[in-house]
Amino acid sequence: MKKEKENKDRKIKVLITKVGLDGHDRGAKVVASLLKEAGMEVIYLGMYLMPKDVVDAAIDEDVDVIGLSLLSGGHLVFTPLVVEEMKKGGFDDVLLIVGGIIPSEDIPTLKAMGVHAVFPAGSLTEPIVTYIRNHVRP
Amino acid sequence: MKAAQKPVIAGHEKDVDWDKYLAAYYEKPRSSLTWSGLDVKEVYAPADLPPEQYKDVGDPGQYPFTRGIHRNMFRGRYWTRREVIGMGSPQDTHDRSKLLVDEGGSGLNTIADIPYEMGLDADHPWAQNEVGLTGVCITNMYDMETMTADIPLDKVSWSLITASTVAVVTMAQYAAVAKKRGYDLKKLRGTVQNDPVHFRYCGFRPACPLDLSVKLGADVMEFCTREMPLWYYTTVNLYDLREQGVTAPQEVAFGFLIARLYIDEMIRRGYQVDDFAQRFAFYVSCHIDIFEEVSKIRAARRIWAKLMKEHYGAQKLSSQHFRFAVHTAGCSLVPQQPLNNIVRIAYQALAAVLGGVQSLHCCSYDEPVCLPTENGHTQALRTQQILAYETGVTNVADPLGGSYYVENLTNRLEEEIYKIMAEVEKVGGMYEAIQSEWLDRVFEKEALARQKELDDRDKILVGVNMFTTDQETATPLGVQRIMKASVKQQIEMVKKLKIERNKTLWKKRILALKAAADRRENVIPCMIAATEAGATTGEMMGAVRLAFGYPYDPLEIIQAPF
Repeated sequence: MKKEKENKDRKIKVLITKVGLDGHDRGAKVVASLLKEAGMEVIYLGMYLMPKDVVDAAIDEDVDVIGLSLLSGGHLVFTPLVVEEMKKGGFDDVLLIVGGIIPSEDIPTLKAMGVHAVFPAGSLTEPIVTYIRNHVRP
Repeated sequence: MKAAQKPVIAGHEKDVDWDKYLAAYYEKPRSSLTWSGLDVKEVYAPADLPPEQYKDVGDPGQYPFTRGIHRNMFRGRYWTRREVIGMGSPQDTHDRSKLLVDEGGSGLNTIADIPYEMGLDADHPWAQNEVGLTGVCITNMYDMETMTADIPLDKVSWSLITASTVAVVTMAQYAAVAKKRGYDLKKLRGTVQNDPVHFRYCGFRPACPLDLSVKLGADVMEFCTREMPLWYYTTVNLYDLREQGVTAPQEVAFGFLIARLYIDEMIRRGYQVDDFAQRFAFYVSCHIDIFEEVSKIRAARRIWAKLMKEHYGAQKLSSQHFRFAVHTAGCSLVPQQPLNNIVRIAYQALAAVLGGVQSLHCCSYDEPVCLPTENGHTQALRTQQILAYETGVTNVADPLGGSYYVENLTNRLEEEIYKIMAEVEKVGGMYEAIQSEWLDRVFEKEALARQKELDDRDKILVGVNMFTTDQETATPLGVQRIMKASVKQQIEMVKKLKIERNKTLWKKRILALKAAADRRENVIPCMIAATEAGATTGEMMGAVRLAFGYPYDPLEIIQAPF
């Protein structure tokens, strides 16, 4: 009973970041703010980061969720590199979420790479918050 | 049993909610606000446009140009149908450009990719994964030659979308190629975006320090004024500001204040406004609220004319003209039910044309999915062609002029724009608003507000917060992929060039460029000479950056090779 309660009260820790040179950061910043408003602890890493930088920060902060924002067509290039770094760092048991400009055709491909959920442009906040709450590691 | 009672021909198996149907029948619009939040009345009447106010409107072609910069508008010439193109290698971009010309496009329009805008060569360790993903990467003269090959530069009007400080390099590369092919620079027509100040808000801050942005932006303006007088040396980009999530009046207010930074710099260099302002141009967004967008454009024309005449003392009418291209609002498009975007784009294009646009890019329906496919691109061009050739919108200049509503809304937007400009003055002017990150905070606040409007259904977006359907599994006209092989070949050629070029000449020219930048001279003549000697985008930008005390590489990964 006590443990369950702790889980419920524990703040979910989310890392939101851009990866590579893609500078479209409006969406990432908005999602970061909205997850914060939903009661999560959010670290927004910013831009111009390589996959290793992202995963190192995720490990340091011991986050529950990594959220990658990709809008420049680099999702099939950078996502597998991030997954690889997560595996190398033994940090592949956290939720990996991708958002941005993602063709629907690529969603199964991303999921096969190890992405848990994809929220394309035009997503509302509620489904993102609900998904994280329901799927985050206990 | 129940199923058996249904008519045999029924194709719709799902139960219909007839209460919802009834509610829809009686449903009223939930909001009477414009997209930007202005409350408007149920009806407008003559009292909303008193006759004495018409003098502030003026006829088309007359100061203050509210109704358009030309007397006969599209009877004189259609707007330029110019679709943005940039993908893969210079060769891929060249091929798509020719395809769209062949389909009836009337202006070329190529866009730089992220590495190029950042000032990185294609072989930069951080660039290699991203070359050609969002545009075209021009690392050297040969890339520019490939992109422009067999296209008669004296017959086309070419819009080169390089917005960052790298616009100086783009102009140098284009001029070097044109000279090599024997063209007279003075006769070339086209546009370079060259608005580095705004581009810091598009993810290019490392490439666009504020002082360098104003300096190099003005270098392009000065060079073109002297050497390429038909060239539009800037399209100050209001569009990208709007894409941050701001409102229509904010778009114009912030954009105009950025434009003034360049004009003030040209005046500081000793130019009179009538020496150069005839080639000043803008890039404007058209969002989905048709009347508000038309009114915004009309208000912008009036404010710009007054600013140029009353504040800067422009005498020539062409110096008072607000000339603009429109890019339909990419941020208004969604991947949910993607074909609906064609309709959104058409309304936005209509607003642009009713507003008296000079040049138009219609987004393709797949904008929120990928770079445009060939079919997507062609369809976007067709949207323009239907508008131009079928609808009759070209017959009459400023067809909404005199509408009680539109004239009233134009006045209100003008007031709003002045109010926002005054707010910026209060924080110390635009330079200070940028440096203190005041403007960043405005953008963040507005972007968050836009998302909450959708979350709370204060604004309706079909397919997103109303009339939703299951997630699509396929994009109707397919997905554009970047040709990895051609990009790889481009990167290899850059590496080869760096080995094979005449190192003595290259070094002499690159050091001459750095010396010119040290002396704070206009860098373009030296950049043309360096380009001709095989210098690359990253090297030339690096030389200038070093002269201004910035790291050679904006990402601080590589060192100067000279």
